[in-house]
Amino acid sequence: MYLLVALFLPLVGFLACMTLLRKARQTAYTAALASAGIAFLASLAMVPEVMQNPTRVSQALAVNWIPYPPIHFSIGADGLSLWLIAATTLLSLIAILTASKRDPQFLAWLLLLEVGIVGVFSSQDLFLFFVFFELTLVPTLFLMGQYGKDSGKTTSNAATIKFFVYTFAGSVLMLAAITYLFLKAGTFDYQNILLQVQAGSFRLSPAEQMPLFLAFFLAFAVKTPLFPFHAWQADAYTTAPSPLGIVMAGLMGKLGTYGLLRFCLPLFPNAARECAGWINGLAILAILYGALVAIVQPNIKRLLAFSSLSHLGFIVLGIFSFHINGLDGAAYQMVCHAITTGGLFVLAGVLEERKGSCEISAFGGLASRTPWLATTFLVAALASSGLPSLNNFVGEYLILQGAAFAGFAYAAAAAVGVILSAVYLLWMYQRTFLGPNPAEDTKDLSNQEALAIAPLILLMIWMGVNSGSFLPVQSAVNQKILQQSKMNVEFRVAAPVAEAIHGN
Amino acid sequence: MGTNMIPTGDELLRFLPEMILAVFAVLVMLWESRHDEHGERRGMPMFTLIGLALAAVATVVAGSYQGLAFSNMIVVDSFTTFFRLLVLAIAALAVLTASPFLRERKAEGGEFYSLMLLSLIGQSLMAASNELMMVFIGIEISSISSYVLAGYLRDDKRANESALKYFLLGSFATGFLLYGISWTYGLTGTTNLNEIAAILGNSDIAPDKVLTSAAAALILAGLCFKVSAFPFQSWAPDVYQGAATPVGAFLSAAPKAAAFATLLRVFFTAFEPMSDRWLPLLTAVALLTMIVGNLAALWQSDVKRILGYSSIANAGYVLVAVAAHSTLGVSAVLFYLAAYSAMNVGAFAVVSMREQTELSDFNGLAKRQPLTAALMTVFMSSLIGLPLTAGFFGKFYIFQSAIDSEMYWLAGIGLLTSAVAAFYYLRVIKAMYMEPVADDAPELAVPASSLQAVLFVSAAVTIGFGIFPGWLLDWATRSSGLLR
Amino acid sequence: MPNQPDLHLWLILFFPLLGALINGTIGRRFSKGLIGSIAIGSVALSFLWVVRSLSELGQLDAPHIERYFNWITSGDLKVGFDLSVDRLSSIMLLVVTGVGTLIHVYAVGYMDHEEGFWRFFSYLNLFMFFMLILVLAQNFLLLFVGWEGVGLCSYLLIGFYFLEKYAGDAAKKAFIVNRIGDFGFSLAMLLLVVSFGSLDMTTVFEAAKKLPVESSVGVLTTIALLLLVGACGKSAQVPLYVWLPDAMAGPTPVSALIHAATMVTAGVYVVARSSEIFLKAPIAMEVVAVIGLVTAVVAALIGTAQNDIKKVFAYSTVSQLGYMFVGLGVGAFSAGIFHVVTHAFFKALLFLGAGSVIHALHGEQDLSNMGGLKSKIPITYWTLLTGAVAIAGVWPFAGFHSKDAILLAAHAHAPWMYWVGVVTAGLTAFYVFRAIFLCFFGEYRGKANPHESPAIMYMPLVILALLSVAGGYLPVMDWLAPLYPVHEHPHDMTLIGISLGFAFAGIFAAYYVYVLNPGSADGYAKSLGGVYRAIAGKFYVDEAYDAAIVHPLEHGSRTVLLNGVEQIVVQGGVSGTVGVARWMGGLFRLMQGGNIRSYAVYALLGAIIFLGVMASSGGAR
Repeated sequence: MYLLVALFLPLVGFLACMTLLRKARQTAYTAALASAGIAFLASLAMVPEVMQNPTRVSQALAVNWIPYPPIHFSIGADGLSLWLIAATTLLSLIAILTASKRDPQFLAWLLLLEVGIVGVFSSQDLFLFFVFFELTLVPTLFLMGQYGKDSGKTTSNAATIKFFVYTFAGSVLMLAAITYLFLKAGTFDYQNILLQVQAGSFRLSPAEQMPLFLAFFLAFAVKTPLFPFHAWQADAYTTAPSPLGIVMAGLMGKLGTYGLLRFCLPLFPNAARECAGWINGLAILAILYGALVAIVQPNIKRLLAFSSLSHLGFIVLGIFSFHINGLDGAAYQMVCHAITTGGLFVLAGVLEERKGSCEISAFGGLASRTPWLATTFLVAALASSGLPSLNNFVGEYLILQGAAFAGFAYAAAAAVGVILSAVYLLWMYQRTFLGPNPAEDTKDLSNQEALAIAPLILLMIWMGVNSGSFLPVQSAVNQKILQQSKMNVEFRVAAPVAEAIHGN
Repeated sequence: MGTNMIPTGDELLRFLPEMILAVFAVLVMLWESRHDEHGERRGMPMFTLIGLALAAVATVVAGSYQGLAFSNMIVVDSFTTFFRLLVLAIAALAVLTASPFLRERKAEGGEFYSLMLLSLIGQSLMAASNELMMVFIGIEISSISSYVLAGYLRDDKRANESALKYFLLGSFATGFLLYGISWTYGLTGTTNLNEIAAILGNSDIAPDKVLTSAAAALILAGLCFKVSAFPFQSWAPDVYQGAATPVGAFLSAAPKAAAFATLLRVFFTAFEPMSDRWLPLLTAVALLTMIVGNLAALWQSDVKRILGYSSIANAGYVLVAVAAHSTLGVSAVLFYLAAYSAMNVGAFAVVSMREQTELSDFNGLAKRQPLTAALMTVFMSSLIGLPLTAGFFGKFYIFQSAIDSEMYWLAGIGLLTSAVAAFYYLRVIKAMYMEPVADDAPELAVPASSLQAVLFVSAAVTIGFGIFPGWLLDWATRSSGLLR
Repeated sequence: MPNQPDLHLWLILFFPLLGALINGTIGRRFSKGLIGSIAIGSVALSFLWVVRSLSELGQLDAPHIERYFNWITSGDLKVGFDLSVDRLSSIMLLVVTGVGTLIHVYAVGYMDHEEGFWRFFSYLNLFMFFMLILVLAQNFLLLFVGWEGVGLCSYLLIGFYFLEKYAGDAAKKAFIVNRIGDFGFSLAMLLLVVSFGSLDMTTVFEAAKKLPVESSVGVLTTIALLLLVGACGKSAQVPLYVWLPDAMAGPTPVSALIHAATMVTAGVYVVARSSEIFLKAPIAMEVVAVIGLVTAVVAALIGTAQNDIKKVFAYSTVSQLGYMFVGLGVGAFSAGIFHVVTHAFFKALLFLGAGSVIHALHGEQDLSNMGGLKSKIPITYWTLLTGAVAIAGVWPFAGFHSKDAILLAAHAHAPWMYWVGVVTAGLTAFYVFRAIFLCFFGEYRGKANPHESPAIMYMPLVILALLSVAGGYLPVMDWLAPLYPVHEHPHDMTLIGISLGFAFAGIFAAYYVYVLNPGSADGYAKSLGGVYRAIAGKFYVDEAYDAAIVHPLEHGSRTVLLNGVEQIVVQGGVSGTVGVARWMGGLFRLMQGGNIRSYAVYALLGAIIFLGVMASSGGAR
């Protein structure tokens, strides 16, 4: 029920800002804030119901949308989507909060983007999922294209087109795969399909699974992005207007990882397990490659882009570890990374607003001028570099643990990424905030900016200290997914100790 | 076979739409004779629209008296009705687009409207023909008036060139068609589609496969030319670009739709028995048409030309559904043609507002005419195939039918090319929204009310069927009972 | 745990955390007095709470565990926020909170003139908080929280003077080198879970005890070595010691608290804590001992050629930590811990003393600008001297007892280790006294006019001096005895005599060179030639690391990855695809030449192809 509010109120806000309020800046801003704020509260209001039975999808709406093919507008939330939805509404709210100087259309597009992402996380109908998945492209297109700013050689237009065409091309084959599933199973209703699989009335032979899996995988790998499909990422993150950057960096990638976890494992267990080897390889490449390239980035947002590449690699690794720890880590990390990266982009936006650019060379010694900015930035950076007692650590640790079960070499290789993350983040922090005082004065966080970052910082600590309030619901769903991914699959688990001894 | 030569009332009723169109065409001509040179023709567009409306009513009425007419020369079934209404609707939009366009150029003249009505007769005959001669006549009526329409702007060199091209190549293709028809007649001794099917289907009396397939090949070639399928697509961009923009809008939609109707009718009934021979070919053609249309469009910088190539690519998509060779496919064809017509005519209508049609001429349109830009964005999104547009569902149904017929490669590659297409459609959006207004950009007039009407209607259709495709799909499915 | 008193161990952590939060958030509005008293008070309170808890617990034959809440629960893996006290941690608790309190007191005086007073003390309290988590943790993951937490605080405090570039660099270096160690530590944890399914220390150690040697030696050795990597990072052992000398960029109390008394001994503590695992992995034990020995020697050698008084003590810390590792490696865990305790006393004393000197000379740290301060700052002199004697290992001072415990055990394990250790002891005595003599004897070579430090600074010195004298008689080893297997090695007087002899030799050598005939040092240095240069150049380890790791990493990332893979493979892949598409499009575009004749030809060809294909296709029927 509340989910409907979270989904449709931003839509109302979008329409309002696009039409009635397109001239009235102040009103539009207030309206946008209000709709996003209420949407956030609504998403929190969902928590108790989902908590009661996390594995059951608490349906918010399931109406027949199109008679044939029978497409239902069916949305609901379970333990896996709950926190992602909450994170989406929160980050969108914060993004809008930081966009006070923008025009109504800008806010409208942000709201539509929120609708799209919440829709993806809550669709229970494969077709609907695809619709929302693609729908997110439209607002992104206009936000990047109209409000993006060129950065060095990369023009925002080029970045926009690249982003759009690349991700669009990546996802078209998924539509074919979804259609195939429908024609085989006679329905788009995801839960229904899973039930059929359980009952054995619907079974995909390994030969069938592989192409379908790859079609899904490609779409998600591009969206995430996973090395080497990240060609669009750095340019997009750098040229995107900061408020969009918050949502993009924080949530866009999760559309991919969420899809991998939600659909690829249960639907195509054989194929997924068959491919796990090279996918984990790619994930580790992403972790190390992203981190190493991040070290030599001269621009904060570019650096964060590659750091995201690295962190998202962790998530993929966790998913394809096929171990409950890995899955839990991945699910948890999705939320944590959203919070942390979102926070870092909020602060990057502040820095950009102060200096007009995100080139690290433009900064230095800010710590004494802007203690609060420096402190919050440090906390976020440390969280992102996986400092225990902050959120990312829990996720990354569990992922590594899962990977260790899948093969100790995976964990060992991935853990190197944790070292490197400290290298590039601290180096960035040092070059930005430490060193001799800059000549000109720089404003510290304004109240509004503080208001934007504070909840994220608090979450970083809370999620880091007490995962108990978030993880269990996800874990419950992951258990189920793991079960489904074992269904009519024959595979063996080596004895832990034995595996540990000759781990790789 | 009806032996009596005097048509019954029902038969006349089934032919009523064509007759109404003919009457109005003549009336417009007579009215035109009262003017000496081109200029504004008050009320004439309205008069034409009335004619179209009456024809539409007649079509609906006729649709409720389904059956054969004129000794089985024409057939009126739900399929016919669908296409008749479709082409009428397209024509209506084209008329509304054309009149302000022509008035602006002091070129409005009655023959324009009557030519349009005449070509409609041909197209609606094509949809209704149950008989190869009828097919030929329909195509000729449609084509010849189209040739003239293409060159309607007499003083415009490029219009003349395009008309000439269209005419020469068109007749060339008609040659193939006619030749094929005569072969078929020679081989089967009949031109009635059902009888041909009966003969070909009966292995005892069936003529030599190779010869029949040769005949079919020639007919297919002729029709592929009309739908601008590879390798007969070359003329399309030149013609659509050269012709007056509203004419382009009309030509890229109505004759095409009618040609597809004929293609389906002829090959899904007459040559159905030998589908194993023409299906592979058609599949290949569909594939190549999509690839050629989409890839070649990447190079274009003129919006009209982009739309020209896009019309080739879209013909390719439709051919995929045809190649799917199933009721699902036929309904997909119908749905897509309807959707395509709406978004395509809409796009052309926007273009028709501009003197110059280079991409750069659209720079910053969003700042100068936000609404127009927004509507153009709708059409482009639909052509790209973004969700919640008719184009999206159209593509979905098409590729669904392909997958249903286990043509996975066709579907896969088709989808990928449609992703490529996103690139050049985006360039239009990019120009309108992301490029600054040129300093020397000419002043923009407020679009004429009729033009606005066109834009809103086609946008409404594009989005409406994008959110609730159910009704249109039902209709299309009900009208797709060809394969029996 | 049945009928155990609930001692609210969490309070021990809570006080410093509270202090840190108060000072960190609203501290900048407070007076220095208030900030200081909050900081000192919080640490003192947790010290008192430690004392109270321990007195409640008495003999502590079984560890006292308190479980608070679940931190992470995933599948079978459950990690709780569990604290525990056993005989080992009880000692660490006393040292950390006790010495910590003293240093906090001292720091209030020392930092009096500094900017960001509030920031400093909130960091310092935060450090105490994490250090105490490290000590109290009942499972490895929670220990890791403290482990990384202290690393963070050390980062913040080393970089305290962040306006200076070197401070920032040193801080970063410390954190990253520690991260390399933590890499090992975390892998060890992963392996622990994989093999034992838990991170709870009691559970793991029980399981490890039960494991049959032959089947488990491989995995246990791996785990032990990985833990050792972590320990080497924290406790600045070869090859990861390089960060500690640079860490002296931080304020002196920091060096005393974090980089001498407490944090750097965390590695020793962890190895001692995991004795069950190490005892089952003899190879690992051997490695521990050797690394310790190498570290002790290398650091001692470098220490002889340093001119910055803090650097001298820094290297001596590294060297002393090496001793502790030797102790652990040869199986004398209790001796190692004993040395941790005594070292905490005299090394804290040395640093605080050095701080007092620096304070007296208004920030002067270079020995060559000191001298003759004996009379000018007597208290500092006498206390510092006590510390020096203690570290030199002169009977009956604290250092003597712990160091000889280690040396004897080493001799029992492998005599050569003893000999190396003894020689190093001589070196230690030499360079420490070299510092003392250069600082206090001879003529004053500086410009500033020295003044004795205020009581708030020298009171802690005095207390620590007393501890350095008497600390050797604390019954640490007996208290720890039940935890570890007992080695019976004879209390060999000759060995003790020899080591004493080396100690005095070192002291005398220093006296001879720097007091009897000052200035002669350079002569000896020259005569040593390359050897001396190598020593003075710290064996060029930093340079080596830069050349071998840092530079290749950065340069490689830029040239190979960023300009190579990223441009060619990733971006190139995309633009390549686009290029191909455009190229094909170009080909088709050629068909659109606009020439009507060619169009006709295409059409004709097309028709012919159609004919051909259809006539031939499906001929099967």
